[in-house]
Order: sequence, then C-alpha cells, then structure tokens
Amino acid sequence: MVVADFEAGIGTVLRLEGNPVDVVVVVVEPTAKSLEVGRRAAETVRENKLGHIVVAANRVRDAADEQRIRETFPDVEVVLVPDDPAIVAAERSGVSPLDASPDAPAVRVLVDLANRLLTTG
Amino acid sequence: MRVAFVGKGGAGKSSLSGTFARVLAGTGERVLALDSDPMPGMAFSLGLPQSDVGLPDEAVEEYEEEGRRRYRLRAGLTGSDAVEQYAVRSAEGVYFLQLGKARGGRWNNSRQHFGFQRLMDDLPDSGWSIVGDLPGGTRQPFATWGRYAETYLVVVEPTPASLLTGRRLARLAGMQGAPRVLVIANKVREPQDAEQVSARTGLPLLGAVPFDPAVGEADRLGLAVLDHDPQGPTATAVRSLVATLQKETERV
Repeated sequence: MVVADFEAGIGTVLRLEGNPVDVVVVVVEPTAKSLEVGRRAAETVRENKLGHIVVAANRVRDAADEQRIRETFPDVEVVLVPDDPAIVAAERSGVSPLDASPDAPAVRVLVDLANRLLTTG
Repeated sequence: MRVAFVGKGGAGKSSLSGTFARVLAGTGERVLALDSDPMPGMAFSLGLPQSDVGLPDEAVEEYEEEGRRRYRLRAGLTGSDAVEQYAVRSAEGVYFLQLGKARGGRWNNSRQHFGFQRLMDDLPDSGWSIVGDLPGGTRQPFATWGRYAETYLVVVEPTPASLLTGRRLARLAGMQGAPRVLVIANKVREPQDAEQVSARTGLPLLGAVPFDPAVGEADRLGLAVLDHDPQGPTATAVRSLVATLQKETERV
C-alpha cells in the first residue's frame, strides 16, 4: 500500500498518466475556493479515469458546511472530518494527530476511512 | 511598492495579498495584482466574481529560435497594454491578472505560462504598485516567478510545518536583485507567537495578523474578508501592514 500526499492544486493530478493509483482522496474545506479546486480535481480524475474518488471534507462545523460539500459533490462518496481543536493543537506542537489524540473525532473518521480502503482494496 | 506573497499552502497568502492590494489601492496607489497560481485564490479576497483571468491565447505568439519553440507577447503588445486590455478591476480599481485556468490532462500550458512570464518581464515600471500571490511552497518562488518583487512577504502561521517553509523561503534574499524578505505572522493566537515566528524563520517581522474567525466565515460564504468584516481584526491588521511597508519603502 502506497499513500502519496500530492502538491496543492491539481498540477500533479493533471500530469498523472497510466494507472498509477486506485483511489484519489480529494481533500476539501467547506470554503468557496477550496470546493472549486476540489471540483476541478474530481473532474480531472473522472475524465482521465484515474481511480475511485473519495472526497474528504475537512474542518466541517455544521449542517450548512455539510450542505455546501454535498451540493458540490452530489455523486461522490464524501467523508466528513469535523473541525477539531485536537488537530489544531497537534499541528502547533508539531506532533502527529494520531499520536497526540488517537480518539479525537477527526482522527477517528480518518482511521475508519483507512480501514475501509484497506479491506475493500 | 512591488511585493510578492509566499509561504506554505494554507498559511493565508491569498486572503492577505488580495486584502493588501485593495487597501494599498485605497491609499491612492495604482495597483496591479498578479496571481501566478492556476487555482482560484486571490480573486476571492479581491472581491471579484471571476477567478480565471489569464491572458487569452491571442495575446501570446509562438516563434522559433535556434530550432526551439518559444513564446512572447503578441507583436506590438507591451506588458502595460496587456494589463490595460486583459486585467479585470476590483471595486477599488485594483487591476487583476492570473495565470489562467489549468485545462485538463496532457494539455500544453507553455503558451499560458511563458506568456505570463513575458508579462512579468515587461510590467509597467513607474507609477504602479504590484502585489503578487504565488502558489504555496518553494517551487515557484525559487524558479523566479516573483522576480518583479522588491520585497517578498513570507506568510507564516505558528506551526512547525509553516515555519520550516518560512525558513527555506528566507533564502530568497540571495536571489538576483537581493530582494528584501520580511515575515508576516498569521493566525496568531498567543502574545509570543509573532516574535517566535520571526526568530524561528530568521526574518524581520513586518507585522502580525491575529487568528480571526471572520476569515473562515468569509471563505465559507465565498466573500472577501474585507467585504465581510471591513473593520475586523484582519482588515485592521492589513491596514497596519500596508502603512508600515509604505513608510519603510519611502525610507529606503
């Protein structure tokens, strides 16, 4: 299993050729700018048949956030990662959130996603 | 004044640079805002509805030199002409140009990228201020995509990852023309954050911008923070950044 963290934007996705990935996790925030970039990324992945798309929506605070995300990605699997002070605290102290707060809500959502991707291939 | 905003992704470059450009224009300067990121960014903080404002293909012509394909602005089109013809204007009169939309797989972006670079090399000289917004990270800055800048403004939040990128970007001072490199501490929560950002990047501090929930609200609504909360902490801090840099630039 290889997990790659791509550069911001969609430059890397645009240049991917062949069939190097199984799943593309498009990480977005519920902001107008981020959703637009995510929409373009998902469009590219779909057009070039690069792999299965999962949208990981980060820093989700409320139902309005969730609605913005689902409206942008109506036909895509969406994982909602709540806005979580534990992540902010971990980042500021330079510690991995998984080490600092393994039970924080945001961390648990990502652990679930990882387990699911592992078991479904 | 010619400045370029750089820093790690998510540090707040686009929010601050667009606000900075508008505040600067409000002081009476003629401002060109340049966004060299193919993804939407600075347009939001400028309060513009349109994020893809690249040079159209017709503005750039292809030619051959020593058997190699090269690009330049169309014959007779100067950098100033291109700004006048193709930039869009914000409410404060800021002229805005962007790299242009990234258009799908295997699309050749040479015309767009070299056209933007030729424009950077032929920008209007006197009577204009330039405020640039570069993509996150170190790649574009060290590949001279901010070469119009007399001053690089490195936006850093008080997190180790952001500080590390800031420390690398401090080396921009060694680029051609020996530009000045200053740091802006963003999303500051603790009183000592700003000084630590300056100490850990080794860069002189231009100023600090407090953590401001209004930025997140504005981003969610797709509004510029300057329109959403014109008297709030971010707008106030950016006014102070502009005033400080104007004073320093006059002194130099």
